[in-house]
Amino acid sequence: MSFLDGVRLVAGRAIREGATSRSWRIITAITLMIGVAVVVVPRLLSPGETRYTIATVGDAPVALVAQLQAAGAAGDFEVRAVTVTDPVAAEAAVRDGDADVALTAVSPDATLYVAANGDGTFPAIVSQAVLGLSITDQLGRAGLTSAQIAEIQGTAPPEQVRVGRVADEGRAGVGFVTGIALYLALIMAGMMIATAVATEKSSRISEVLLTAMRPTQLLVGTVAGMGALALVQVAALAVPAAIGLATNDLLELPAATASDIALAVVWFLLGLLMYAFVFAALGALVDKPAEVGAAVMPANLLLVASYMLGIVVTIQDPNAWLSVAGSLFPLSAPLVMPIRWASGLVPTWQLVLAMALVAATAVALALLGARVYARGLTRTGRRVKLHEVLAD
Amino acid sequence: MLLEAHHLAHHFGDRAALDGVDLRVRPGVLTGLLGPNGAGKTTLMRVLLGVIEPDAGQVLVDGRPVTYADRQRWGYMPQERGLYPAMPAGAQLTYFARLHGLDRASAHARARALLDELGLGERWADKAEKLSGGMQQRLQLGTALVHDPAVVVLDEPFAGLDPVAVEELAGTLRARVAAGRTVLLSSHQLDLVQDLCEEIVMIDQGRVVLAGAVAALRASSGSRQLRLGLDPSAPRDWLTGFPGLVVVEDRVDGLRLALPAHVDPLAVLDAARRAGEVHDFGLDLPTLSALFLAAAAPTSTSAEVSV
Repeated sequence: MSFLDGVRLVAGRAIREGATSRSWRIITAITLMIGVAVVVVPRLLSPGETRYTIATVGDAPVALVAQLQAAGAAGDFEVRAVTVTDPVAAEAAVRDGDADVALTAVSPDATLYVAANGDGTFPAIVSQAVLGLSITDQLGRAGLTSAQIAEIQGTAPPEQVRVGRVADEGRAGVGFVTGIALYLALIMAGMMIATAVATEKSSRISEVLLTAMRPTQLLVGTVAGMGALALVQVAALAVPAAIGLATNDLLELPAATASDIALAVVWFLLGLLMYAFVFAALGALVDKPAEVGAAVMPANLLLVASYMLGIVVTIQDPNAWLSVAGSLFPLSAPLVMPIRWASGLVPTWQLVLAMALVAATAVALALLGARVYARGLTRTGRRVKLHEVLAD
Repeated sequence: MLLEAHHLAHHFGDRAALDGVDLRVRPGVLTGLLGPNGAGKTTLMRVLLGVIEPDAGQVLVDGRPVTYADRQRWGYMPQERGLYPAMPAGAQLTYFARLHGLDRASAHARARALLDELGLGERWADKAEKLSGGMQQRLQLGTALVHDPAVVVLDEPFAGLDPVAVEELAGTLRARVAAGRTVLLSSHQLDLVQDLCEEIVMIDQGRVVLAGAVAALRASSGSRQLRLGLDPSAPRDWLTGFPGLVVVEDRVDGLRLALPAHVDPLAVLDAARRAGEVHDFGLDLPTLSALFLAAAAPTSTSAEVSV
């Protein structure tokens, strides 16, 4: 039997048993539901387009309505104009909620009724528009030609430059959620692997398997099988979310978030590859499956620390030295780099470097893990200390 | 395949689990590896199977060092229930057959045939956890036999079985032995296997204390006892003609004599008949437990012995 035949047999068995187990099906169904909900729920809760109503005494001047509609197109709101007969009716329209603002005339002397509890954006826009029209009017009366007036009005406001700790808050927010999902997925996948190994060890199936195949075949097969099961769960969460984000503009998130999520799946694979062998090795040290929780503690602590670094430091300051170090250090990179990458402020070479370092570390840990695994499996009767199997 | 071990040594930390063990298991001879708990039986079996590497010594098959390819065709049944609880019985046997290199079709066919032989034919689709303890034991035996291994090693196969199940399992093993397979089984229940195994190797504290054919070991041991139904009035002076002979009992219904290894029981019987009428006699061979107690270090007390 070739190396790969053995790996395929072991992995195939693990996948068949896992995929037919009730717990795996339930968890996968739940993650799929969450993945779909991430996309569907905001759509259902979305308030739809913002619409402001302006009431004017008499027909609203065409110039004013045109200006407000231009502002609406830029600011993502719609403007509706209604007419009222007199100022009293204008005040009443606002008080009764029929209009957001009511204007008695297009003049600085006019009164602008605004709702006491409304937001101030639209009234400010209306005021600005009224002021602009009045100035145009006054300039005309002062004898300026319409060309001169147009020139004055064409004066551009200062250029706005958006500044922030991240390129896009929305994208960074998705990165934050992705970090949580990655952390949970890695912890769960690691636990699944360690438990599978410990169960095989305690029932001594591993000994029977070891008479027929090499420890590395068994290790790689187990990791591949359990990893595939975990990957399906991650995909159940990520695929609907990524498709939803790529096709849905209601959340007003940049298109990059969809590719961020795709990248997160790559990070999950890399992180799993690296941690899977560690979890498998730790699982091989226990004597009873109940001890798995305590045995995998070192790996869990590493993941928790990386996760905390990501959501506490990196999300606030993606380019702090701690964030940069954490996103490049292989053991924490799978959790820190996706969060940092979502800030949009990471040079591509750092991403590539981090991935290369993780891949190299995965190979090193796989070799070390195979050693611990092979020796741990054959020492039974009590919990094996890590230094015992590394020593001789 | 002739399975041999030469001077095997293995230690766990400071404790020597195997301390220069020699072993010889011949094909066609059901061989028992006996000893109390902690004697080193399981470690010895793991070393034979290559699950652990010995510190010293070597394992030979047919006189040459064993290879990985040899061992891939062997069968092993560890002491605990080495089964996947949620896996159906048939799939389980098929899987283990394929692990040992059989293709899908022949693995399936062998699994079918073996489940039938083990009386589990109806249980093909049942999960292992749904089977009774005895059925699980048989299924586990199946995982060790499904690829028709030339060498079968079983660690405590009789532990926890009722006498009927023991007889069934022994029957399955005898069929393999009769077909020329090499079968080694371990037990800490010494007297249970004395009627099953033709040859035994007894180990204690990592050393072999007794090895050979069961019948010869019992017959040649120094702890045989001869019962003689001899008239109390008959003379006893002829007893002095057998140096080393010990009178255990001398009652109205007769004598009970402990015979040293070099004394022929028939010679004693002849001498007794010359002294008087012998109306009853019998030679009591020692149990394996008694042989173990005589051979083992005095500190060993954990064996299940009944003298």
